[in-house]
Amino acid sequence: MADIIATNETILVVGGGISGMTAAIEAAECGKQVILIEKGPSVGGRVSQLYKYFPKLCHPTCGLEINLRRLKGNKNVRLLTMTEVSEVSGEAGNYSVTLKTTPRYVNENCTACGACSEVVDAEFDDAYNYGLGKRKGAYLPNKMAYPQRYVLDPQIIGTPDATKAKEACKYDAIDLEMQEESNTITVGAIIWATGWQPYDANKIQPYGYDRIANVITSVEFERLMDPHGPTGGKLLRPSDGKEAKDIAFIQCAGSRDRNYLKHCSRICCMASLKQTTYVRERYADEGKATVYYIDIRAIDRIDDFYQKVKADENVTFIKSKVARIDEDKASGNPILHGVNTEGYHRYANQHDLVVLAVGMEPSVAQDEFPVKVTINEEGFIEQDEANGAIFAAGCSADALDVNRAVQNATASALRAIQVVNRAAGMEG
Amino acid sequence: MADEIKIGAYICQGCGIGDRVDTAQLAQVAQRDAKASIVREHAFLCNAEGVKMIQDDIDNEGVNRVAICACSRRAKTEAFNFEGVAITRGNLREGVIWIRPDTDEARETTQDMADDYVRMAVTEAKYMTPPKGDDNTKYTPKVLIVGGGVSGMTAAVEAAKAGYQCTIVEKSGALGGAAAKAWKRIPQHAPYADPEDTGVAELIKAVEESDKITVHLNSHLTKTSGAPGRFSADITTESGSTTTENFGAIVQASGYFEYDARQLPELGYGKSANVVTQAELDAMAKEADGGPIKTKDGKEVNSVAFIQCAGQRSEKEGHLPYCSGHCCLTSIKQAMYFKDQNPDIDTNVIYTDLRTPGAGGEDFYRSGQQKGITFTKGAVSEVVASGDALEVKFKDLILDEDTSEKVDLVVLATGQVPNSGVDIEAMAAVVEGEEDGAEPEEPTAVQVPVESILNLTYRQGPDVPHLKYGFNDSHFICFPYETRRTGIYTTGPVRRPMDMQQAIEDATGAAMKAIQAIENAAKGRAAHPRSGDLSFPSFRREGCTQCKRCTVECPFGAIDEDEERYPQFNEERCRRCGTCMGACPVRVISFENYSVDSVGQQLKIVDIPDEFEEKPRILALACENDAYPALDMAAMNKVEYSAFVRVIPVRCLGSVNLIWITDALNSGYDGVVMMGCQKGENYQCHFVRGSEIAHVRMSKVDDTLQSLSLEPERVSVHEVAITDIERAPALINEMAETIEKIGMSPFKF
Amino acid sequence: MSTMNQAKVEKYRNDFLKEVTANVEEGEWVKMCMQCGVCAGSCPFGPYWEHPPQEIFMMIRAGKREEVLTSTSMWMCTSCYNCIARCPRELPITHIMHGLAHYADRLGLAPKNQPTRKFANLFWNNLTKKGRANELKLGIALYFMNGFIEGIKTALKMQKMGLNMFKTKRLSPMELLGGHGIKDTGGLHAILKKAREIELANAEKFNG
Repeated sequence: MADIIATNETILVVGGGISGMTAAIEAAECGKQVILIEKGPSVGGRVSQLYKYFPKLCHPTCGLEINLRRLKGNKNVRLLTMTEVSEVSGEAGNYSVTLKTTPRYVNENCTACGACSEVVDAEFDDAYNYGLGKRKGAYLPNKMAYPQRYVLDPQIIGTPDATKAKEACKYDAIDLEMQEESNTITVGAIIWATGWQPYDANKIQPYGYDRIANVITSVEFERLMDPHGPTGGKLLRPSDGKEAKDIAFIQCAGSRDRNYLKHCSRICCMASLKQTTYVRERYADEGKATVYYIDIRAIDRIDDFYQKVKADENVTFIKSKVARIDEDKASGNPILHGVNTEGYHRYANQHDLVVLAVGMEPSVAQDEFPVKVTINEEGFIEQDEANGAIFAAGCSADALDVNRAVQNATASALRAIQVVNRAAGMEG
Repeated sequence: MADEIKIGAYICQGCGIGDRVDTAQLAQVAQRDAKASIVREHAFLCNAEGVKMIQDDIDNEGVNRVAICACSRRAKTEAFNFEGVAITRGNLREGVIWIRPDTDEARETTQDMADDYVRMAVTEAKYMTPPKGDDNTKYTPKVLIVGGGVSGMTAAVEAAKAGYQCTIVEKSGALGGAAAKAWKRIPQHAPYADPEDTGVAELIKAVEESDKITVHLNSHLTKTSGAPGRFSADITTESGSTTTENFGAIVQASGYFEYDARQLPELGYGKSANVVTQAELDAMAKEADGGPIKTKDGKEVNSVAFIQCAGQRSEKEGHLPYCSGHCCLTSIKQAMYFKDQNPDIDTNVIYTDLRTPGAGGEDFYRSGQQKGITFTKGAVSEVVASGDALEVKFKDLILDEDTSEKVDLVVLATGQVPNSGVDIEAMAAVVEGEEDGAEPEEPTAVQVPVESILNLTYRQGPDVPHLKYGFNDSHFICFPYETRRTGIYTTGPVRRPMDMQQAIEDATGAAMKAIQAIENAAKGRAAHPRSGDLSFPSFRREGCTQCKRCTVECPFGAIDEDEERYPQFNEERCRRCGTCMGACPVRVISFENYSVDSVGQQLKIVDIPDEFEEKPRILALACENDAYPALDMAAMNKVEYSAFVRVIPVRCLGSVNLIWITDALNSGYDGVVMMGCQKGENYQCHFVRGSEIAHVRMSKVDDTLQSLSLEPERVSVHEVAITDIERAPALINEMAETIEKIGMSPFKF
Repeated sequence: MSTMNQAKVEKYRNDFLKEVTANVEEGEWVKMCMQCGVCAGSCPFGPYWEHPPQEIFMMIRAGKREEVLTSTSMWMCTSCYNCIARCPRELPITHIMHGLAHYADRLGLAPKNQPTRKFANLFWNNLTKKGRANELKLGIALYFMNGFIEGIKTALKMQKMGLNMFKTKRLSPMELLGGHGIKDTGGLHAILKKAREIELANAEKFNG
């Protein structure tokens, strides 16, 4: 990767999710030189794992397709996958950044024909499906993956599978000798868009995510609906593969809670409201949803979505933070215990499936930031002059929905452009 | 470019193509049937050597049209990326071998399919010209900003920091807008514990000190014309003097109106001077400036109730159906005004859902509780003025009882009503209604003074179309700034309800988009979603019948009418969707790289076997953004579909001209399947109305079918999403079954 | 109405939340509740309460002084700490419950016949006398808590267990005569007296 051309007029965007892609593309479409790096093997981030967006109920891959086309067609953006920032020094307008690239073991000769995948035996948990399914040791991360190029799982390197994969490739695309690379580049500004991860539901002990098969997370639920997902788009529950028609949604699973994440993750209310429509989409009148909430935060213009869901008689709202979940051993049904605080009604409700609306945790832990920036208690990057020309975009800045993340990323692109334009001496 | 057309056709044998089809035959077809000048096969076209082979032909053989017959146009774009030539793709992998079984019986039809895709790719190339761009582009690095509030000033300051000139047009006599009337703002920085200075004064100072920003106070726009890169705006002052200036892009930050609380008599507004709105309370606090906030009659306040969602989130007549987003945090901020001054003042916030999102929101809520603000989940029914005090009657939703509270002051959290100008669609509906002799539509629930903000001279009306509830928001989740007027970006509460912090973020992003529009316009490049496309619609004036369909149907208002009532295309406003091309009954509109011919000739070159061969032909026109990728991904999953289909991606179903359907039926196709995006309220069409328009147009295809004595089932139009990887192939198969049922078309020659 | 109660009513008028904040152990936390109800759902004794903690907190904010202070609810707390462990706002709910009970007791508003309250008083009096719990006396006192006849009945019922405990030396009949205690009973009493003074002084300070 010695051919990376970067100067102090280049903008580095860290993270290839919706925010990073947006920041990179928007800046590039302004004529700026951009290097977009992504830790994983393909861009798209969390949104590519969602079935639908609220409130329009449209498919994230639809917008992703457009963004990919913008990316493919723009020569101002250089995309580096499997790459992370390991070190940053310097100042606004002149940063020196060391990038670490881990081997993909597949070069640009790959045509995505899939022959390597067919011959490899080893299977691993599929991170794209949050471990709900398996993928081969040679794999295309997902059907929309860009670059459309296979990856070898490092765990098969040195095993007969690796050799088999190499032999199966007719295009000399598999390079088992690939090594980790390190490159130091100069850039003028950095947009930090490393996004979020779902809060680890195992930590919420009373909800039994680790013990009760039919307690899943909201991000996993998205995968069940996805036609590319582990169930081919069917709402089947994990314990017995039965159709889950009566589903409970537990809000603030990890959010607004000083034991876990003290902030409100903003998206989860709308996400659960959206997911109640999935139940109806799959099972029509047989589908039932119950939302256990503290406050429904369907903020601003899209409150009408809440009103619409509320009017659905198959959807029930209970103002309650669920206290704990047991399992009915015979049926495998989770039993939710708690108190409806509107008038004090105690309940022990059985459902087919429980979906925990897990919170958003910033992807990069506070003490692991390779750059010096001001981070608040929640782990988000504050807007601060002390950050120099390092600008947070999307969920690195706060818990944001896609719309706001993109808005924020667009703003960050301008902030970065201001710096590189200054560096270019363009300003009068 | 009056150059000679020289087509190179390149046939890849990789990924199993060579094993499954006879590529020598494909090469022959390319040369003999489609008249490619140079035809080459390659074992592995996308590798460096294959790419070099093509590049050499471009450099040395004068090849200027490249037909790559290999994988889908969505694959290997990095490799097949040649400058200065027109490129087409024949989809032999995802379109043929991956969707057909590898069996002896299937071999012949699979080969037929591949043959046709090669013919089509070469033919498309023949009818394409690499767009050379517009020579008349203008670079005007200057942004017009309408509105001098926080959003407008932020947009100006941020654009200026990037080196662009800005002009703010503000209708009042001062900068600052609604925010200037507030005492403090919701905190924007950790620890998010206390209200902070509004920052408005600093912002005004930054505007005034910038040598790049010009401000016109007491002014508004009386006329805006042109397009990105060459907008012309008449800025008229109160006294009536007008100056005309040119701009590259426009940011509309026209803000909001306060909801008229007089519509809430049940909450005591207008009955007691001690029932005020949040905006009024902020003014009172500004007046008090840290001292005790007093009522209008000069009394000290000992207790305050904040009533959330006053006239909001309600279907009642005269109420706002939405949530204004900031009011919960604003009430906390305002209760702190009291608590910080005197902790003994009782402040109670009565809410149904407390909405304090994100890190800062929740911190601020806790800080409010820490300061002793109480929060009651309740539904207020009435505020009664009884003597000096006010009685707030409400149902306590936790204790499940009707109760009341006596307070000195009531603050109503009323909402934001966007100042978004004329609702041009409602206007059009009224005009249409009047023409039909019908009653005009009911006026909207919330009445605000309606004056045009931009006074655009566009044929489609003077303002940016509203989305919902009067907001100029984008419809798209992934593209929040996209309006239906290219180069005009709306920002701040005119887009959706928001607080100051959000307005600042929003305006910075809008400034970014404005700058981008300027840069794109200067190079003749299309804006989102066909970013970078250098083509633009051209029309043959002599053939035009002035039917106006193109000007009416353009989703982006890009086409005006000239003095002689001919369509006048404004390239810089155009998004290249081709809806105009689809609309034109006399087919005089086309793009260099997309035209009635570039598609029409493709479908005509497809080999139509005669009736007795029992090989029907189905034409599928698929939206390139959703339906086509869905078919691609179906292929990756090896979902089989009929070998009789020939799929042509279209920019948008709106670009489909009826002639294609007529031609297809006339030339012996047995069925036509069209796949566009979801239409209607939650449309997913990236060109807004393309899919909808296509559905309307195709409802008229029955006439054509009737005149040909064909069954109506032979043409179907579907809404297909990118996730329909099972359904999209199924729709094709369905048509194949239908044909099997009703028989072959009699129009085969 | 006790004079102290009277004084508090006058002092705080209808602002019961302020009164709780000032007078109840950990009472300043009450305002931090966000009414999620996880405490109510987590309490193993939940079904037996009239008002779960979260509801009591709302009643405090709503100024339901009488109802809260005369309630038996907070006497039901067995200090299992489930609520504290789960409270998303980290309210020391167990302590607040005990604080409220104690405050109600001080004001003379606590329900007279609430059994856990009676038990608590007996236990406290038993314990503080000599610094060690006198199990025999405590047991007997508990048997007779609800009257003489009731006491006899319970004693007879428990006769066998009592004898077994004597036999295995788990209980000494000698305890009836004074019983064992700590070395410096006087010192303990002085400590308790001082503690009470501090508590009252604290309460007065809030009041002031």
